[in-house]
Amino acid sequence: MTKDTTLRLSAQTPHQAGSASAVPGDLRRLITHEDVDRARDRLAVVRARERGVPLYQRLLRLSWLLVGPGVLVFLGENDAPSMLSYAATGAQFGIGFFVPFVLLTFLMGFIVQEMTVRLGAVTHRGHAELIFDRFGKFWGRFAMGDLVLGNFLTLVTEFIGVRAGLGFFGIPPLVAVSGAMVLVFAVILSHRYWTWERITLALAMFNGLFVPAALLAHPQWGAISRAFVTWSPMPAGGLFKPDTFLIIMADIGATVTPWMLFFQQSAVADKGLQAPDIRGGRIDTLVGTLLAATFGIATVVATAPLFAKGINASDYQAAQFAQALQPLIGRVGATLFALGIFEAGLVAAITISTSSAYAFGEVLGTPHSLNRPLREGWGFYGVLLGSALAAGALVLIPHAPLTYFVLIVNVIAVLAMPPALLFLVLLSNDPAVMGEHVNSRWANMAIIMVTAVLVLAGLGFGLQTVFPKLFGGGG
Amino acid sequence: METRYGSLGPAIGRAEPRTSAVKQDVLDLEHRPEAVLSVLEADQLFAAKQHAQLGRAQLSRGARVLMWGLRIYVVVMFIIVAMQVVHVFRG
Repeated sequence: MTKDTTLRLSAQTPHQAGSASAVPGDLRRLITHEDVDRARDRLAVVRARERGVPLYQRLLRLSWLLVGPGVLVFLGENDAPSMLSYAATGAQFGIGFFVPFVLLTFLMGFIVQEMTVRLGAVTHRGHAELIFDRFGKFWGRFAMGDLVLGNFLTLVTEFIGVRAGLGFFGIPPLVAVSGAMVLVFAVILSHRYWTWERITLALAMFNGLFVPAALLAHPQWGAISRAFVTWSPMPAGGLFKPDTFLIIMADIGATVTPWMLFFQQSAVADKGLQAPDIRGGRIDTLVGTLLAATFGIATVVATAPLFAKGINASDYQAAQFAQALQPLIGRVGATLFALGIFEAGLVAAITISTSSAYAFGEVLGTPHSLNRPLREGWGFYGVLLGSALAAGALVLIPHAPLTYFVLIVNVIAVLAMPPALLFLVLLSNDPAVMGEHVNSRWANMAIIMVTAVLVLAGLGFGLQTVFPKLFGGGG
Repeated sequence: METRYGSLGPAIGRAEPRTSAVKQDVLDLEHRPEAVLSVLEADQLFAAKQHAQLGRAQLSRGARVLMWGLRIYVVVMFIIVAMQVVHVFRG
């Protein structure tokens, strides 16, 4: 391929609608299996928009086709450390300030993730690829470093969740982790993005197990309603007490993390979404936000009885939450809780390892699509499975300090977000990349506020760690 | 109706059982590159992405200051986290 076949995006019209005549003849000979599969998915969307069927049928069909990246990213972010953060929140603080606070964190997450939908649908590129292209290798490597570190640490915690969730049923760690690895491997065997997405979505729906667990806790609906309106009662000792602030950071990190930016944009590009699908992608993201917020708040409610009974759950591991809840919400409720933790770890292990694989493939310029068979995307699948294997193996180390590790990983996610958000803002305001789909003023105001909250939270954490006595902590 | 499907246009407008039309379109995608190119945008092709160049963004001074500032912030915060983890495990 010569330089003559290079496609250069113009500032005026960065993306032209598909036209065979606009594409250099050489490219016709380079249509890959990935392109055919993506075209098949696009054809289904195109057909779903055809007139001649009732509007409601068209909308249902389109919703079915377009849902995916948004729901997956948010239910994937309701991962093991996140659900354990919510469990710790309910157990330590009950129904109060944190119930609307968790909802607020999901609103922040939606503001951020909506931009990745536009970026992916307009540029057809993943987040890592765009950062390297527009900002160069120096800044790209920083972004990749944050992602690789954060993703690997988080993957370890997912397998902690898998181990702990199945540990409630007496399943040995080796069996639990190995079984999860087999499932991670199995979902990619179809080498079709569509199939992988549908299977993972089905698994992610089990995140809803926390809802019946919450109902079995006989929630005080009056207290929940009051909490949403008044944001009270506030945590004893104020928001800056060390234990409280750690939970605040962990809850923020449970909804806004770097891997989400990389995953959703790459998934949108792999799914083949185009600019006309942005609205559908937004709805997909909103549905994911609302589902995940509901399940997260349900987890807070499910463990609130521990707070009501004055049970000290500050050092609880996942299985201990389920065991402690059993006398309060019954064997069924505890079982649902444990299964929910297992699901949270499993789905996140799938999505986060895929996020890492996408990023590596984009940066190295190698095939990086779930539409590729194993032999064509061996590097992509190698990173996906290799990262999961390495993380799973660490969890099996005897006497590894897993409990504190789970909470601190979410804190690390919060700290790594501001630079990632800056790249996101710069890209989504770049007319050469986004054309008419650049951020609106409201979107910019919202993302700046989200970034400010994360930076201030991080600074607060830093001050509290360095000067603990200022906040009532320390010896 | 004018469509962007190129050679697929007649297949979509035809009044025939949906199943056979869908199967024909899928076969077209597998055996005729023009069918793929008529459904996807040019830069959605893997080969196009390999060779497309977006070019480097022109960053303002303010943006560069912010990028460096936030990068330093992250490095300092990671050091503080490491301090906290060490403190917790020692204490």
